[in-house]
Amino acid sequence: MKKSIYILVFAFLLGACDQGFEELNVNPLKPSQVGVDTKLTATLLHTSGGRYENWRANLIYQSTMMQHIAALPGYWSGDKYLWNMGYASSLMDRYYDSAVKSIEDMLVQLDEEGAPEEMKAITRILRVFIYSRLTDLYGDIPYSEAGKAVIAGILKPKYDPQSEIYADMLKELEESAAALGSGTSGFGSADIMFNGDQGKWKRFANSLMLRLGFRLIKVDPAGAQSWVTKAIAGGVMESNDDIAYIQHQLGPEGINKNGNGEVFTADGNPRMSKTFIDFLQAGNDPRLPILAARRGDGSTNPTDLIGLPNGLDSNLLMESTGEENTDNYAEPRRPLITAEDTPMFFQTYAEVEFLLAEAAVRWGLAGGDPVLHYNAGVRAAMKMLELYGPEAAIADADIDAYLAANPFDAANALEQINTQYWAATFLNEYEAFANWRRSGFPVLIPVNYPGNVTNGTIPRRLTYSTSEQSNNLENYNEAVSRQGPDALTTRVWWDVE
Amino acid sequence: MYKKLRYFLMVAGVLLTSSIMAQNVTVSGTVTDGESGAPLPGANVIEKGTANGTSTDFDGNYTITVSGPSAILEFSSLGFTSTEVAVGSQRTINVTLNPDTELLDEVVVTALGIRKETKALGYSLTEVGGEELATIKQPNAINALQGKIAGVNISQNATGAAGSSRVIIRGSSSLTGNNQPLYVVDGIPISNENNGSASLWGGNDGGDGVSSLNPDEIESVSVLKGGAASALYGSRAANGVILVTTKAGQRRQGLGVEVSSQITFNRVNTDIQDFQTEYGQGRFGRKPANQEEAFDIGLSSWGARLDGSPVVQWDGVERPYSYVGSNLDHFYRTGTTFINTVALTSGSEQMNYRFAASDLTANDVVPNSKVNRKTFSLNAGANLGEKLTSQVNVKYILEEANNRPRLSDAPGNPNFTVLNLPPNVDVRTMDPGTNPDGTERQYSSNTFSQNPYFAAYNFRNEDVRNRLIASTTLRYDITDWLYLTGRAGIDHYTIRGTSVEPFGTAYRPLGAINENETRYTQIDADLILGVEKDITDKIGAVAFVGANSNHIKDEFLGQRGENFIVPGLEDVGNTQNQSRSRNFGERKIGSVYGSLELSYDNWAFITFTGRNDWFSTLSFPGKETPNDQFYPSANASLVLSDALDLPEPISFLKLRGGYSEVAGGAQEPYQLALTYQIFGQGHLGQPLGGINGNSVPNANLVPFNKSETEIGVDARFFNNRLGIDIAYYTNKTTNDIVPVTTSVASGYGSALANIGEVQNKGVELLLTGTPIQTADFRWNASFNLTFNEGKVLATNEEEGSIGLGEPRTRNVEIRQIVGEPYGVIYGVSYVRDDNGNIIYDIDSDGVPLAQIGERKILGEGVPPWIVGFSNTFTYKDFSLYFLIDGKFGGQIFSGTNTVAYGNGLHKATLEGRENGLTVSGIDGATGQPFTTTVDPENLQTYYGRINDIAEQFVEDSDFISFRQLSIGYSLPRNLLDRTFLQSVNVSLIGNNLFFLKRSVDNIDPESAYNVSNAQGLEYYGVPSSRGYGISLNAKF
Repeated sequence: MKKSIYILVFAFLLGACDQGFEELNVNPLKPSQVGVDTKLTATLLHTSGGRYENWRANLIYQSTMMQHIAALPGYWSGDKYLWNMGYASSLMDRYYDSAVKSIEDMLVQLDEEGAPEEMKAITRILRVFIYSRLTDLYGDIPYSEAGKAVIAGILKPKYDPQSEIYADMLKELEESAAALGSGTSGFGSADIMFNGDQGKWKRFANSLMLRLGFRLIKVDPAGAQSWVTKAIAGGVMESNDDIAYIQHQLGPEGINKNGNGEVFTADGNPRMSKTFIDFLQAGNDPRLPILAARRGDGSTNPTDLIGLPNGLDSNLLMESTGEENTDNYAEPRRPLITAEDTPMFFQTYAEVEFLLAEAAVRWGLAGGDPVLHYNAGVRAAMKMLELYGPEAAIADADIDAYLAANPFDAANALEQINTQYWAATFLNEYEAFANWRRSGFPVLIPVNYPGNVTNGTIPRRLTYSTSEQSNNLENYNEAVSRQGPDALTTRVWWDVE
Repeated sequence: MYKKLRYFLMVAGVLLTSSIMAQNVTVSGTVTDGESGAPLPGANVIEKGTANGTSTDFDGNYTITVSGPSAILEFSSLGFTSTEVAVGSQRTINVTLNPDTELLDEVVVTALGIRKETKALGYSLTEVGGEELATIKQPNAINALQGKIAGVNISQNATGAAGSSRVIIRGSSSLTGNNQPLYVVDGIPISNENNGSASLWGGNDGGDGVSSLNPDEIESVSVLKGGAASALYGSRAANGVILVTTKAGQRRQGLGVEVSSQITFNRVNTDIQDFQTEYGQGRFGRKPANQEEAFDIGLSSWGARLDGSPVVQWDGVERPYSYVGSNLDHFYRTGTTFINTVALTSGSEQMNYRFAASDLTANDVVPNSKVNRKTFSLNAGANLGEKLTSQVNVKYILEEANNRPRLSDAPGNPNFTVLNLPPNVDVRTMDPGTNPDGTERQYSSNTFSQNPYFAAYNFRNEDVRNRLIASTTLRYDITDWLYLTGRAGIDHYTIRGTSVEPFGTAYRPLGAINENETRYTQIDADLILGVEKDITDKIGAVAFVGANSNHIKDEFLGQRGENFIVPGLEDVGNTQNQSRSRNFGERKIGSVYGSLELSYDNWAFITFTGRNDWFSTLSFPGKETPNDQFYPSANASLVLSDALDLPEPISFLKLRGGYSEVAGGAQEPYQLALTYQIFGQGHLGQPLGGINGNSVPNANLVPFNKSETEIGVDARFFNNRLGIDIAYYTNKTTNDIVPVTTSVASGYGSALANIGEVQNKGVELLLTGTPIQTADFRWNASFNLTFNEGKVLATNEEEGSIGLGEPRTRNVEIRQIVGEPYGVIYGVSYVRDDNGNIIYDIDSDGVPLAQIGERKILGEGVPPWIVGFSNTFTYKDFSLYFLIDGKFGGQIFSGTNTVAYGNGLHKATLEGRENGLTVSGIDGATGQPFTTTVDPENLQTYYGRINDIAEQFVEDSDFISFRQLSIGYSLPRNLLDRTFLQSVNVSLIGNNLFFLKRSVDNIDPESAYNVSNAQGLEYYGVPSSRGYGISLNAKF
């Protein structure tokens, strides 16, 4: 009798061995899906980027290579053409598992939910912007198979040739622009860039097509002309109201902040490059006291603003200038330009006008008058600074004076237009670097710091994540064999000599 | 059970024989334990040459009627040396039995707390007495086992005085999961979770769960190495089990009091670091020209030859350009550890108890870093009637840590700066770490190189752990051969932590604070129905069936604030940016199990076990693959020396062998399906959503399985003066659940695969001997040797490799690669031609820069060979003990040496500083050999490149350490007889005294910065220290 009771007890226990286990293993804190609009907001912030890659890829490398910024310490590798593999790969390290992963997930959800076409189009445009940053910086990159570990089980995505990526990105922009109408998109105010305005997205798509079309100028001039023509016909940005940018906040968390601003909070070493300050001084540029201030006392008096030469350390600085106190040099003006709640620009109306000016010069497109576009570009580049705050507003009279003193110079048009483009893309160094490689302007004098890895030439790309050699070796090797050594001096597909 | 059986037979014998005896003489007396002085219940008293015998009662008293004055009484008890006494005219015979650790009928604690004779064991089990841990006590008691047990690899690492330790039994069985054993304390599994550890980006080691144990209260530690030993604990025992039994109350007259006290002093082992002291701060062979430059190049020792001339330093002060002595001596303090325990014990026939209170304070060598741990334990046993017995064990632990040292990456880590300062810069010039306004006094333009005094005194990092471990066991003897046991226990703790990067920190000028609380609860319950029955005279059976439920819940609540508004007020409410986080995890395992042990004539034993586990972590609505697995084990033992007539020199010979399986589930919950999250606090009023986690889930996970085969021999010779125990084992894990590292471009960091395979093969050898034994002098020696070869057999379908961890240099990592040893060091190599010559790029200054090569396997992080050699000499009341241990065959990547090369601090960088360094190699541009001289001012460029090549810094981690020394004196018993004292022992102790051999320069080869599976990476942990101290134990 007793025995059978025990057997019964055990039989009961046996049956109860996994009672409720299925429900127990459902995470009570995490939903199985969230609204796609919440993902758009997050993806836009991921695209703006965190401190990590903005510090390393944008500022340490590109801003110094482009001689907007200069810094003495050795870890400012781009200032001296040194190779810090982890810094060079930082955009690749961070973009794929944030912006790329999220945008690919959004496309799947929009399809599954049968979302309106305009929402898909907006997502596709943002996707092109994300990948264009990556491919312009690294060349051949994982594109068609990227970010699809869950979606398609691809753990080792192949690297697509940049030529194919460009063809697809331009096609995507064309189709997306065509799918957009007017009025508010289904994303509504979750779209923190354009507040759901389809028209603005459409103009952004065409402006991006203009930008990417121009990238082809060296490798495929005819293709460039055809895409630029198409972009202009589709309608590009028309005013500073159309600027594609993210308005950041002071917090409360890292994702809310401007990644560049976070860098300036943590790093007191960057100074305005002598090249950039000299350019602003030479033109008596009203942007100078807005963008720069003397490190030591914050003075914005143009006569106090001296740029730091690139490619030096403190000893070389003293040898060459006799200066030993870097507080005497100008830095990006704090907090006006460096705060964590400043805007982060993806593409500006000013850039678009400069590209239109170039289209007019080259092919007689966009009405055929480069002067109008050049002037509009300069004016827009100066006016848009008011997005940094009222203190950064430049009076129209000052702009008029500047344009009068620095009129369009047809004999030197491409250099002048693209040098202005360079000035207008200060802190959006991804674009400054890409356009410099495309256009060859401004003419920058390379530095030759001891131990540099480029033989004293300005790098032409940044290098891939070293982890790819461990985790995706075959595809990595294929890309390297197609594109050339994974080095700072290798040129990307569109950057032919 | 055997004991019981024997008593039964004896009693029967007494009854049978007493009636036919003449001239009977009745003798009585008390048998006491020679060590504790306590009465010895259950001791056997037998009239020699007869079946006449009895045993002592609970008070150690016996009465026996013997055949006459010529009778000889034999007194024996398990675990004690037997004694014979001639009766003669005595009618009261009091006997003291001394413990005999070498007695063959040793009884050990095995799975589920069952005591077994070692000879019945078909697997390898090592039991260590509590005194092994208590002689030289360490803040983490388990560290005292290092070098003492074959098959067990203990790494203390550079995690600080109260840091975690890594214990691996018979190799790692999971590619990425927890590989540390299950700790079972008084029958209840306890958590050994790590409360944080350092990684690539720094951090500190928050200590582990097992460190809560008070070494003074440990009665014994049984290490159940093989799967056979562990099958009864189920999946959580796949990595072996360490069973800790704490001391229980003993039956005695009145109240017993035990006091023990230990103080140790630790000094950083400065000799280990041997950097150059000839060239000072500077660059390109020049001294810093001005304060700005000195500040910019903070840690660069590429300056001029030290000449005593006045040279400006980081703070603008000119100081002689000369060597300032070891900054380690200047910065680190003498660490002190105080461990005090008082225990009260008492017992009667109905109940016994032991109460102990202990206080441990460990002041680390890192200034301002300390841990205090108070433990209170109560063990009580009671007979609640004829058939019902109960046991209750309760432990309460209160641990408060202040500023556990930061490790690895530079921010907040004082070690980084102190170990890197140029020879002419005295760390004491950086004291205090703050400017008058409270901000950090930076010594370098790199904001992440922390002023070490600011790191030590201004960074805050505190945690308080409240922990309760309690268990109760009830046993009901249904009949004399059938019993029912129920056991339930809880391990519950909360850890309340605060960490502050203060206002004025150079890299975070406005500061930040984290406040968090971790709660953990594990409830474990067993119900066992057992049978102990002799089927015939010779065949005995022990069997039981049981069911177990294990339920673990953990939760983390955190809030963070960034940017203090009012400087100096360190509260989340006083910050601009506030955020919060919560994690939650719950998992259950349900099990049924059974065991059957058969014995034949007390020399042949065979045991079968079986268990089925169900895992909540493998359950999900709609899942079709199983969430459970059944796994069996069998093992056998043959005591040939009992079965056969063996030649005289062989005193004992046993063969054993077994096969076992154990299954396990995913260690973390919620891994089967992709989830999303709303994160952060929105932006411009819009919520932020996205994918949760960075690992690709796997909906079809099934349990992993680990199988193990073991054979062994236990032999003793020359009257047990020499013993040898050899085991060979092979184990293999299949279907391991592993996050295989994916391409960064896949969008995820890893993907969960379920086909991982790991294999370990190994040999364990234990030699014990008593080379000399006289009346007053005794020398016991013990040598153990472990060889374990772990190998990765499979990861996922694509044989992808798995990254386990990388140091801050990021040019090397620990990886699992199919076909290679467990956890290889995989990093950037030199590029070489077919003849092995290094290929260089020659830069525009003519400096050869070694080409950056592919990542290659550069070594293995876990040494396959471990040896330990301990000796104890006792002469009258004196004893001398020392332990030497070593590990061989592994490698370590030294981040310290990497950075020292780059900074010109390593001695190897001295060559060529005056006249240039001759370098030969192959010019990558031409493919032709070259020989060139690198000018002194370009040396830093040359070495700056070598700095990137991990191959240069992977070195053998072989060592032999003179690990422990103690010299003890026990006050003679006759001296104590007239006092209230029962025993007094005083010891001088030493720990980590010196290296007899060390392969790697400048670092302790055991200085990995965490205890994760990524072993073989060194990067600025706490420098190792040697300890000296004194220990006192008294009983009264």
